[in-house]
Amino acid sequence: MFLIRVCLVSLFAYFFFGYLCIPFTIQGTSMEPTYPNGGVNFCWRLRYLLSEPKRHDVVAVRFAGSQVMLLKRVVAREGEQVEFREGKLFVDGREVVESYVRFPCNWNLASRRVEKDSVYVVGDNRSMPIENHHFGQASRIRVMGGPLW
Amino acid sequence: MVKGRYFFVGGLIVIIGVVLAVTVFPSEEKRVKKRFRLLSEWVSKRPEENPITMLQKMKDIGTLFLEPSELKAPNDSLSGSYTRQEISAYAGSARSHFSQLDLKLYDLNVAFPEKEVAQVTLTARLIGKFKTGEQVDEIHELDCLMKKVDKKWFFSQIEVIEVLKK
Repeated sequence: MFLIRVCLVSLFAYFFFGYLCIPFTIQGTSMEPTYPNGGVNFCWRLRYLLSEPKRHDVVAVRFAGSQVMLLKRVVAREGEQVEFREGKLFVDGREVVESYVRFPCNWNLASRRVEKDSVYVVGDNRSMPIENHHFGQASRIRVMGGPLW
Repeated sequence: MVKGRYFFVGGLIVIIGVVLAVTVFPSEEKRVKKRFRLLSEWVSKRPEENPITMLQKMKDIGTLFLEPSELKAPNDSLSGSYTRQEISAYAGSARSHFSQLDLKLYDLNVAFPEKEVAQVTLTARLIGKFKTGEQVDEIHELDCLMKKVDKKWFFSQIEVIEVLKK
């Protein structure tokens, strides 16, 4: 009976932490100060099972699999025009207030439309030059979920 | 008791046989993955690497590729077709700028769309330190096409997939 319990708990843990609630360590400073380098969190895969990512949501974007993911913030959704003027975010020509951006930013990015089934993601830390920051539009199918906290 | 011993010995022989078969005759997927392990090993560089090892690795990297091999990268002047010599020379030149380099590969998914052709998608992470002291941490998704020639797998095409499009 004890062995059966151990097997069931192990099986549950394997599927839960392997596929539904994936633990990860944050490596890098692109989401600072919201998510500091070295922090630990979980990617909740069911977050967007019945809904779509909204503006200001923090999402995990996958590469070829779930071992390496990017943690970024959604700033625009499909069909919207996104641009940066002197560090300020504009969506469809209107300035968006971003309380989570704490460091000074002077980015300029010409207006572009977010493609169908895509979201536009950017990190919270925009203190580095724009060419050194990994951001842009990601296909919706690459959004694995969101951090648990 | 004697019967139990026979079962145990029989079971042990079967397990050893299976382990030997898997080790001696690896599956095609394992053979493909081994080529990636070699690529990772040869691209990586330790701070104390001597010039002879450097030259050997440079030459070895070229042997993993078919002639010619194609590189496709979005918005990158590196896209094009390369011979083995060109790949070796480019790899050597790129490695020489680093004091330390580590190529890590994740999430290798191997598919065989045709006979003697393998398509592999993976995440590649390059962590390094330039001789000037500047740190590098690049992550890319790669889509690789491999072909089997004379019982060996060779890289035929490497495409860098654009995950975030600015």
